[in-house]
Amino acid sequence: MKSDGVLQLQDAINRRTFLTTACRFGMTAVAGLLTDTGYSAVTNDGALTPLPGRPGMPHFPPKAKNVIYLFQSGAPSQMELFDYKPKLAEVRGQDLPASIRNGQRLTGMTSGQAHFPVAPSIFSFKQYGKGGIWLSELLPHISTIADEMCVIKSMNTEAINHDPAITFFQTGNQISGRPSCGSWVAYGLGTENRDLPAYVVLTSKGTGRPDDQPLYDRLWGAGFLPTQYQGVKFRNQGDPVLFLSNPPGVDRDIRREMLDEVGELNRLERTVAGDPEIDTRISQYELAFRMQASVPDLTDVSKEPSSVLEMYGPDVHRPGTYAANCLLARRLVERGVRFVQLFHMGWDHHGNLPKAIQGQCKDTDQPTTALVNDLKQRGLLDETLVVWGGEFGRTVYSQGGLTAADYGRDHHPRCFSIWMTGAGIKRGMSIGETDDYCYNIVKDPVSVHDLNATILKLLGVDHKRLTYRYQGRDYRLTDVYGDPVSQILA
Amino acid sequence: MPFDEFTIEQLAGDMLPNATMNQRLATGFNRNHRINTEGGAIAEEWRVETVIDRVETTSAVWLGLTMGCGRCHDHKYDPITQKEFYQFCSFFNNVPETGGGQEAPVNHPPIMKAPTVSQQAGIALLDNKQIQLEAQKNALLAADAPSAAQWIASMEGKVHAPAQDGLLARYSLSNAPKLLAGNAAPPRVVGAVGVDRGRINTAAVTDGRAFIDLGDTGRFDTHDSFSYGAWVNPNGGTGVPLSRMDSGAAYRGWDLYINNCKVSVHLISTWPTDALKVTTKAAIQSGQWSHVFVTYDGSAKPEGVHIYINGVYSPAEAEVNTLKGSIRTNVSAKVGTRTGSDGFTGKVEGAELYSRALNNSEVLQLSNGDPARLLLAIPAANRTQDQNAKLAEIWSERNDPEYKKCKGALDGVSKDRSTLDGQVVTAMVMEEMPKPRDCYVLIRGQYDKHGDLVSAGLPAAFPPLPAGTPINRLGLARWIASADNPLTARVAVNRFWEKFFGTGIVATSEDFGTRADFPSHPELLDWLATEFVRLKWDMKAIQKEIVLSATYRQSSKATPELISEDPSNRLLARGPRYRLPAEEIRDQALAVSGLLVEKIGGPSVRPYQPDGIWDETNVYGNLRNYKHDVGESLYRRSIYTIWKRTAAPPTMTLFDVPGRETCRVRRTRTDTPLQALVLLNETTFVEAARVLAQRVLTQGGSTPEARVTYAFRSVLARKPTPAEMRILISGLNRRIAAYRVNPAAAEKLVAIGDFPREPGVSAPDLAAYTMTASVLLNMDETINKE
Repeated sequence: MKSDGVLQLQDAINRRTFLTTACRFGMTAVAGLLTDTGYSAVTNDGALTPLPGRPGMPHFPPKAKNVIYLFQSGAPSQMELFDYKPKLAEVRGQDLPASIRNGQRLTGMTSGQAHFPVAPSIFSFKQYGKGGIWLSELLPHISTIADEMCVIKSMNTEAINHDPAITFFQTGNQISGRPSCGSWVAYGLGTENRDLPAYVVLTSKGTGRPDDQPLYDRLWGAGFLPTQYQGVKFRNQGDPVLFLSNPPGVDRDIRREMLDEVGELNRLERTVAGDPEIDTRISQYELAFRMQASVPDLTDVSKEPSSVLEMYGPDVHRPGTYAANCLLARRLVERGVRFVQLFHMGWDHHGNLPKAIQGQCKDTDQPTTALVNDLKQRGLLDETLVVWGGEFGRTVYSQGGLTAADYGRDHHPRCFSIWMTGAGIKRGMSIGETDDYCYNIVKDPVSVHDLNATILKLLGVDHKRLTYRYQGRDYRLTDVYGDPVSQILA
Repeated sequence: MPFDEFTIEQLAGDMLPNATMNQRLATGFNRNHRINTEGGAIAEEWRVETVIDRVETTSAVWLGLTMGCGRCHDHKYDPITQKEFYQFCSFFNNVPETGGGQEAPVNHPPIMKAPTVSQQAGIALLDNKQIQLEAQKNALLAADAPSAAQWIASMEGKVHAPAQDGLLARYSLSNAPKLLAGNAAPPRVVGAVGVDRGRINTAAVTDGRAFIDLGDTGRFDTHDSFSYGAWVNPNGGTGVPLSRMDSGAAYRGWDLYINNCKVSVHLISTWPTDALKVTTKAAIQSGQWSHVFVTYDGSAKPEGVHIYINGVYSPAEAEVNTLKGSIRTNVSAKVGTRTGSDGFTGKVEGAELYSRALNNSEVLQLSNGDPARLLLAIPAANRTQDQNAKLAEIWSERNDPEYKKCKGALDGVSKDRSTLDGQVVTAMVMEEMPKPRDCYVLIRGQYDKHGDLVSAGLPAAFPPLPAGTPINRLGLARWIASADNPLTARVAVNRFWEKFFGTGIVATSEDFGTRADFPSHPELLDWLATEFVRLKWDMKAIQKEIVLSATYRQSSKATPELISEDPSNRLLARGPRYRLPAEEIRDQALAVSGLLVEKIGGPSVRPYQPDGIWDETNVYGNLRNYKHDVGESLYRRSIYTIWKRTAAPPTMTLFDVPGRETCRVRRTRTDTPLQALVLLNETTFVEAARVLAQRVLTQGGSTPEARVTYAFRSVLARKPTPAEMRILISGLNRRIAAYRVNPAAAEKLVAIGDFPREPGVSAPDLAAYTMTASVLLNMDETINKE
């Protein structure tokens, strides 16, 4: 015998109420899955129409239309770049006091050390711009755009190793399985250019440490969101998008005719089978055809003015380098791609740090500056949010021996530095302070959730209201935490 | 195999009485978790993750429950407390595993050897042969016994032990070396020293890194007279088989140095200003045994160093002659290296050291590699039974040709057995520790925050384990597979339904909890579940019920009314229509073209992948420098494709195969332009189109209409309608004309994929038909099930 409650529930799920009450009765987004393909509403007109996001989005007027996230994978040392600590010279070589360390867990890579000698940076710092931003000699180019920068020296995280830490930045959780930030944004806001993915990923290897930490597809995956929101990683060799090019012997004309044939046959099938999904498939094939032109058009930088190419430095001519990817990032946002993320590997300097970090800065200093200037010159900087940073910081004490010219640093989650510029960001300032040992935060801590909430807010999204029901729970990028950092919002 | 039996074997096959190899192998299911080899990873933390992975997987797959929510707190929606979650974990917590991982493609314990059927047969054959030959050998020995004894007795007192005066140490070398004679420390292996047959008995195998430490013996000084040597078999030309020399202290000490197969002796105080180096003019052979021996008279002069090869004095040249100071060093004597450099790659046997310079005839005696010699020199009264048996074997080996033949065969069988054993793969399996591990509630799910100790058990919401059931993994498996379990049959039949209809009766096939979707047809689900049990869990029978049902056999044609009433066909007023899963799309293309190789089992295969696909983001691991297989391995079912969790085959992921880091029961189904690009341009599909075209041109008739019909029927299992035929013929004709004008383009297209070209088929025609076949493979009807 069924209880009243069960009958009521069943009644509520009968076909008349199914679609309208989907949300109220805890249904999964099955309805959404069926009609939404993530790439377009069904049109066959061939025009470049934007792809809308969720109904009701954005929640408020956005400052940023696009995001370029310059992820520095491996964790750049904040003491070498942004967080100037002159007093460390006085305690050089001394053991990190227990009062400072205050129970911070060590990794298996330094826990066996008998000593934790403080290692001041051998690089010198100066202040730049109206905001008096401290930057090291390793960043000569970035120093010239100090007036655009907003440096956060008080980032902190709980993750102490790369995979959980990057996963945390990307998905709001140290354990993988959840959608990445770019996927959330694609899902929520859609994209401006239907011919390109909403979320594009570009990777590059660092000269400072070419054998450094690997990356995983799931870092830009869609998790439990429908897979069309996943980041599409453009490759560094061959077709930037996998299987983009026609096979040898099939030119664009033959391909066009063949697609016409497929389309005609599918339209016949449509009338027979009646399945509206067939329309979607027809339009996806048309989109694929357009991508075969739009992607090479995107990656063909030969028509860029030489003055622009020179800004980025000589690496811009070598596909798969950070410089080349920065230029591509500008071209992607010009074409309306919503979320562009670069991953530059090679910052994990457990040893040989002074030499290695010079290599990394050589890779990134000039192209990053060029990208910001390039966006500014084209009037895009006020609509594009640019973020630069890694997954955690590095220890003030040396990993391995400390010599006059050489030291290494282990992972340090309690404080690290990132910077932002572009849409909606207050420029020419820094927030957050760490103690003299660059070990603990003393002012204005910013968590990873806070950062993600801020990014979403700049895109016009209330991070608490962009959710997706899965396993009975309304998930969001910021889990159950995070507040946008109002101090840095213009 | 019925589903209940299958369930029990997957979950607890190892715990069944007299578990067969296959039953143990089945438990590998619960070892398919991630293994973390990262530097600094905490083993216990990962062991806990592994246990929890098992619980989450088992609960989702068999019980349709999201038990994993109970890791950190009581389940928010379902009646599973956190304590009950950890009680459930306890069933999977007793595997003798550490949670640590090796950064190498090895299987992590517990493992078992998993010989194939033919390997098992081979092993049995060899084992039988061995038993036969052993018996034969023993019989021959017994028959020879009187003659052997007579010979041994006759040699009594006639054989003298090699020089004993001044013997410091004589060793038997192997991976477990021993001191045979002399007053020296027991030798000690450092590193991976191997063992092999020596010239006489056993030899140590060194690789340039591993060595044998002989301790403080051989503490010679410049004006001492002394001797040393060994049997050596170099592998390559250079290295130090025996030394007491400190490379870090300007090479102070003495050594024996094989120098591009020439033999050198160094006596060094400080290299090169205070040292002696003498090198033979002759060379020994790499890969062969030579007795190399050195005597020295304490004169610090090159003439005082005598090098003997195989017992014969070998003329030598002095390369350095400046020795004045002391060569005494405190580092230990070593076989296989100097102290700090110059490791020897090869085999060394029978090293010995003397505190005097032996004479020619003594050295000759030492080089006489007769294994019997040492044994016969021992007086009969002092000889052990083993030593006498060895002598008897030696006699038979030398005098009984039948024995020699038998022993040879036995050695051969042993070698073959060893080779075969090396080919047998291992598999990771489940085992149960004799005493279960303590299992704790983990506060907020953190591995090292132990709450209450718990014991294995089921959540109270479920019917309890029947009285008398052991509360262990086997008991759990039997309870899951029981007809009385309220969930197992429902969850299973729902998944079968999902497979055929695209969506389960319960749409959330991984979750039957309170937040899950209500069944669209509850009575149907009840009936299917009970029917499955009634049919004794016969999966084929229940699936036959489903596919023979009137519901399934409905046409999937949808009218606008049906669509508006029931867009996702939850009410089943029409048959199912949905895009095939990734594996089936690829397998189908291979099947319709005739490429599919239907072999079952075997190692993973490597199909086509884009060049360098995994090298950009992967620094370690064995999928870098990926090269696809050749031959039939390219055309196996997709289920056999090699898979790296962090870098999945793109064709599969583009068609919604989930990542395999954790269990995902239900897939999404998407429709993207990237999928279109795969079907249009990926090598597998282009090749399949070409191979289908080849078949069409050779077997499909002689007119375009016949050929198009043949191709159409191969792919879609029906004839084309007149309208479809018009479209296809028109496209075909256009392309034939185009490719005949541009045969170079045709050649390029038909060269794609490793499968051989059909001889006698013109490239332009083949190219045109290839594109027609490609059209067919890209039709919506082809990649949808309807």
